[in-house]
Amino acid sequence: MADLGRAALLVTFGLVVYALVAGSFAAWKRRRRLALSAQNALFAAFATTAVAAIVLVVALVRRDFTFQYVAAHTSKSLPLGYALSAFWGGQEGSLLLWLLILSGYSALAVWLNRRSRDLVVWVVPVLGLVASFFAFMLCFVSSPFVVAPAPADGAGMVASLQNPYMLAHPPMLYLGYVGLTIPFAFGMGALLSRQTDERWIILTRRWTLAAWTFLGVGQLLGAHWAYTEIGWGGYYAWDPVENAALMPWLAATAFLHSVMIQEKRGMLKVWNMVLVALAFLLSIFGTFLTRSGVVNSIHSFSQSPLGGWFLGFIAVMTVFSVGLIYIRLPLLRARTKLESLVSREATFLYNNLLLVALCLTILWGVMYPLLTQAVRGETRSVSKPYYDFFLHTFGLPLLLLMGIGPLVAWRRASLRALGKTFLVPLVAAIVTGVALIGVGLGSSWPGLLTYTFSAFVAASIVLEFWRGTTARRAIAGESLPRAFGSLVARNRRRYGGYVVHASIVLLAIGIAGSSAYQTVREPAHGLRKGQSMEIAGYTLTYVALSTRQEADAQATRATVLVSRGGHHVTTLHPGKNWYPVEQQTSNEVSIYHDPRNVGDLFAIADQIDPKSQILFLKVLVKPLVNLIWLAGFVFVLGSAIAMWPDAVEQRRLAERYAPGAVSAGL
Amino acid sequence: MLALVLGAVLALLAVLLVARPFLREPAPVEDRIAEPGELDRRRVELVEERDRALGALKELEFDHRTGKIADDDYRALVGPLRRRAAEALRALEPRAESNVSEQVTRIGR
Amino acid sequence: MIALSVAAALAVFILYTAVVGGATTQLSPSQLAGHTDHVSLVGAVVGPVTGDAHGAGLRFRVKDVSGPSKVLVPVVYHGSVPDLFKVGRHIVLTGKLHGATFVGDSGSLVTKCPSKYAPAKSSTSG
Repeated sequence: MADLGRAALLVTFGLVVYALVAGSFAAWKRRRRLALSAQNALFAAFATTAVAAIVLVVALVRRDFTFQYVAAHTSKSLPLGYALSAFWGGQEGSLLLWLLILSGYSALAVWLNRRSRDLVVWVVPVLGLVASFFAFMLCFVSSPFVVAPAPADGAGMVASLQNPYMLAHPPMLYLGYVGLTIPFAFGMGALLSRQTDERWIILTRRWTLAAWTFLGVGQLLGAHWAYTEIGWGGYYAWDPVENAALMPWLAATAFLHSVMIQEKRGMLKVWNMVLVALAFLLSIFGTFLTRSGVVNSIHSFSQSPLGGWFLGFIAVMTVFSVGLIYIRLPLLRARTKLESLVSREATFLYNNLLLVALCLTILWGVMYPLLTQAVRGETRSVSKPYYDFFLHTFGLPLLLLMGIGPLVAWRRASLRALGKTFLVPLVAAIVTGVALIGVGLGSSWPGLLTYTFSAFVAASIVLEFWRGTTARRAIAGESLPRAFGSLVARNRRRYGGYVVHASIVLLAIGIAGSSAYQTVREPAHGLRKGQSMEIAGYTLTYVALSTRQEADAQATRATVLVSRGGHHVTTLHPGKNWYPVEQQTSNEVSIYHDPRNVGDLFAIADQIDPKSQILFLKVLVKPLVNLIWLAGFVFVLGSAIAMWPDAVEQRRLAERYAPGAVSAGL
Repeated sequence: MLALVLGAVLALLAVLLVARPFLREPAPVEDRIAEPGELDRRRVELVEERDRALGALKELEFDHRTGKIADDDYRALVGPLRRRAAEALRALEPRAESNVSEQVTRIGR
Repeated sequence: MIALSVAAALAVFILYTAVVGGATTQLSPSQLAGHTDHVSLVGAVVGPVTGDAHGAGLRFRVKDVSGPSKVLVPVVYHGSVPDLFKVGRHIVLTGKLHGATFVGDSGSLVTKCPSKYAPAKSSTSG
């Protein structure tokens, strides 16, 4: 059956190359049937990729060890769910997942927009180009269908990957990464077809939002995974692979904002093209970083042959995008200028600059070791202090802007009106700041600023909803709840956006609380049975140690009683698991969700001395950390509101772009 | 063996799908993709301009209502914007009697 | 205007990485000799592993991940040891050379996970 998989991928390769070549010719010479044919090739490519995917899935389920890939990533005793997740656990499989999602998205995007014939005719070859690379890799460089004599049992899956996160985190990230290809293809398609209108943006708006949401959720899942399973007490380590997902997300965030300016004012056309290309290139770069081992990362030290190919592809796509934008520059010149530096457009611009600056500093940090190696012959790398510095420098103003933006009018804000609209949020911020200093939280200025700015933003968001609702009520005479409902329903993007901003505020507060104001205690000589330690008002007493046999691991757990003010609060069980098959230990942290500070009491059994039974315990108190996970849900809610289809708007836009409707009236 | 047969079938189906447009219309009347004419492009430009102008008016009104624009600033801005919107409407529909306020409500939201 | 701002941002972080010097050099054991500054040592663990990271210190040796060099650098380390640590693993450790022994900073020992996905560290970040 591996032959079928290989054959299916070869057919896919042929199809996408055809889509690229025939599609380009058809677009250039405006041949209708050939264009349709190229389009069909993309549809067929999804079907054939799906066949290849099914072959791999079946092999994984059946633990067919003649497939080298299956033997390398599963074993007979591996539970079914994880055997399935092995699809994307290895290099070859994850490339197949990428192609599967890409071909699926491409087919769907082209199908949904098939009536925009003059645009789609150019989008097809661009999609074909990207797909050709991945299909080529899968057929000739990194195939999941290599066969070998089957070993008795497979190599199994690393213990640390055997958790539900492995089922959700990679696919979610891929749905995000790959999703950024669609707006890119439409943008390039618009340039190729010499179209300067907003159609490509409008058609791909929901695609961009969806991809951006998936990417964001994927990252939060990854952070939660690191926090609860890897358990070093943190959730983000500025590791190159983590940054690989953050960078395209930041670029996409900038893009989502700047397209609003293009729609409203017809400005920033060039900038938007650059941003959409940047987001796409960064998503490919992200895959490259994760897979090639080119940068020293916790994730991979080994050099992989894939690296060179990816680099080549990124170079080709960069030249293609930059070249195309440059050639079409005259078409993209805006006729309007920014009227005032104090307007909502201006705040969007500042927001864009900050986001891109942050993105570039992260990119610089990731590339620094490679550059120093090439230039100086000596590898130098940056770490947390570098990233923290720029996160504060760019992130804090960004946070503040989120609050300022909604308070400022479009085009040109009234400076007089500014005073009134700013008053309440400003007061909220100052009161919060003073109160926090009073409570002793002035110890960390980034933390204090984050909280203060967050209060400002929260107040401004609430005010926006309030003012909008009352205005609506005045216009339409509806009751308060109805006014609220219709306000949001009529302005889904705006108010959905505000909800997303609220989620970012929660995220910021959660991050500040759990990093700037966390407490860590780690008794240097460990705890003997019966001994206690103190942290942030809690007393932890180590009372017992037990070992029990689980399905595939030997689980050692320490029993630690937690009390506060003499009253027992909870019992924690930090410990370790020993996996005899993989000859590996894993850290099993114990977390208490503390309602008092919406945070966690986090216990790590760093080391357990089997003879003396001394427990080396590391305990962290992380206030407000659970706001981070809550933010994830609010984020999805806001995004859903913003994406929600709006029938009236759809109709209006369909009329606008209906071909040949010159005097169809208004 | 079965795998190769299935593979061949897959390839055949793919080729059929790709060839379908040619098989359905071996001798078409028209095989060109309509190039959006100058007129169409201009129209889309004008429609976007109109929507922007009307949208801007709507925004201005909302911003005024929610207190982000002071009364005199509003008065100063609304005139030129209405003129712009009227121009855009006229450019699109030279003969129609277009009422800007009505259009603003129509553009809704 | 946009270009100017981006250039300014670029200037800021180039300045920062160069002057403020948040960067540390990464060296393999064969490159370590002679460096007395604070560096990151990258290599593979060579046994025997003795001692106690929470007691007198965990002692082991490190060699180059790849390449012909047979240089072995003795290491002493105090602090959290990641679960994946064992002979043969690739590690990163920041610290300084004291004489012939590399003394690792507490909590800075990081191991590379054999698979391409999960990070495995015990540093105090986050």
